[in-house]
Amino acid sequence: MSEPVLELTGLNKSFGPVHVLHDVDFTVRAGEVTALVGDNGAGKSTLVKCVAGIHPMDSGQVRFAGERVSIGGPRDAARLGIEVVYQDLALADNLDIVQNMFLGRERGSDWLLDEAAMEKAARDTLASLSVRTVKSVRTPVSALSGGQRQTVAIAKSVLWESKVVLLDEPTAALGVAQTRQVLDLVRRLAEQGLGVVLISHNMADVFEVADRIATLYLGRMVAEVATRDVTHGQIVELITAGRSGDLGLARPETATV
Amino acid sequence: MTSSPTAGARPDEVRRHNRTALLRRLHVGGPCTRAALATELGLNRSTIKALVDGLAESGVVEERVPRLRSGAGRPSLLVLPRSHAAVVLAVDIRVEQVAIALVGLGGEMLARNSWNLHGRARDPDELITHVIESTRVLVDDLGVRMTGVGVSVPGVVRRRDGFVHEAPNLRWSGIPLGDRLGVALAAPVRVANDAEIAALAEHLRGAARGSLDAVYVSADIGVGGGVISDGSTLRGTAGYVGELGHMVVNPAGRACYCGSRGCWETEVGELALCRALDLPEHSPRGMVVAELRALAQRPELAAARLGEFREWLTLGLVNIVNAFGPELVVLGDLFTALPPALVAEVGAEVGRRSLVSRAIGGTRVLASAMGSDVKLVGAAELAFEPVLDMV
Repeated sequence: MSEPVLELTGLNKSFGPVHVLHDVDFTVRAGEVTALVGDNGAGKSTLVKCVAGIHPMDSGQVRFAGERVSIGGPRDAARLGIEVVYQDLALADNLDIVQNMFLGRERGSDWLLDEAAMEKAARDTLASLSVRTVKSVRTPVSALSGGQRQTVAIAKSVLWESKVVLLDEPTAALGVAQTRQVLDLVRRLAEQGLGVVLISHNMADVFEVADRIATLYLGRMVAEVATRDVTHGQIVELITAGRSGDLGLARPETATV
Repeated sequence: MTSSPTAGARPDEVRRHNRTALLRRLHVGGPCTRAALATELGLNRSTIKALVDGLAESGVVEERVPRLRSGAGRPSLLVLPRSHAAVVLAVDIRVEQVAIALVGLGGEMLARNSWNLHGRARDPDELITHVIESTRVLVDDLGVRMTGVGVSVPGVVRRRDGFVHEAPNLRWSGIPLGDRLGVALAAPVRVANDAEIAALAEHLRGAARGSLDAVYVSADIGVGGGVISDGSTLRGTAGYVGELGHMVVNPAGRACYCGSRGCWETEVGELALCRALDLPEHSPRGMVVAELRALAQRPELAAARLGEFREWLTLGLVNIVNAFGPELVVLGDLFTALPPALVAEVGAEVGRRSLVSRAIGGTRVLASAMGSDVKLVGAAELAFEPVLDMV
């Protein structure tokens, strides 16, 4: 069995006096969907942003495919093959699907973009995900539905041969049917061998797609468990109280101060 | 059609037959010009015009002027199937997950969903309810009417009414799946064995297109196979065929849940692969795939780890090629993640060892290009079979 594709140990992060992440350990394995759950303010988005290089980490180690690396900025993360999909459908509205998928990484010479090659690559990627709901890859993104926009954002990570995809509540802005389709895509990404991290507040969604569930509680990682070993109730307890039976934080009466 | 084989065909039957043939051609082969349709179907242009006009009038196809012109003269109009004209539901039930898709005329997937079962949600009632509920969500969102349902099940299925006799990996026995879905979804339901369905998909839209004798072998938790013989699916009595995974290859091997010992699937199934790769049993599918992809980069390690697996795979395939004499064997599902070099070696070895392969000038062994959607595609085609006569 090979090394986890991404492994964080002892990650700490403060914003001024607020200590947001306390010694967080977090593992992402290739081919698995790891759900990252926790209450509002538990530190989920901060953790993702640290991995994506948007926030510098105060302390902690990052290993990528077994090697020590440092992530100093978004470019480092992109170079390693870490892609992030945000909840607010973050694409450039005035550009079409191809331009969005290649934004900042256009192909071609210094003088001329290779539009044909980019269009073909975009079309092939969408086809490989059997996403045939978009009529043309030259459709401007502003004309797409929420689900289609997320699909394009996710397809980007396939196009760039990412190893790890972090999805920060990708379905928060979507309707029921669209949510189903995006989650279906998330599952299929993992089946292709990518490491997928899914942040979600919806327990039903988490149980449908995730292989493992990592729970953050007030900035601490209280449990990382296999989905098949836990129930909805246990995860809800972990989210709200930080423990559930033997899982999570030690009971106060047994904890050493 | 009810006419006996000796009765002559009445003009309206001929017309109906031609219409179905044309629609099937558009559905499977995609958009096509009127001129090409006339050549392919062997009908004259005025017949094609009448048929296409009729279909266009009822909104089943549309016509466009082709963008690329070929040859001189007035361009022949391009005929395109309209995906919303007929929509079917495809359901793929697996050991670890369920996937559903709404598929339109022409094979376009209009909407889809899938979910993990985590080993404990295999209760048929819960699964059937989940399928029905998710289908309603997708159907309402698209605003379409469903005209048929096709279901793929990893088990032994009675063709006539979709009764699942036994699906051992799901721990199902005696489930009237076809009837139950049919009542709830108010559409005709056809249920078939997963490998048979995948063989159908490969035959119509995949690697085995245009090949009259082909075998499809796939590995999930279980291993199954579907056989296309002389252009049609080999079914056996009441449709109970396809358990190639339970051909006994190693009498001294592991006990199989089917009651036998040393079945092929115990040596080449997902669990056997997990053992070869040192992964815990029941690892997520993606993890096995990731591990196999990593091995493809390191041939000497792959040879060491997968040597025994390769031998069992070769052995089973030699048996299959000798028994069915296919021109092509398509490896599907988890087998598609095997290192390409290994598949090539297995193919070459089968060619050397199999008497039949030598006789027919070499059976090709290929990995499927359809990925994990193959059963959804096949289930949709199964559902479309009766629908194309009616739209």
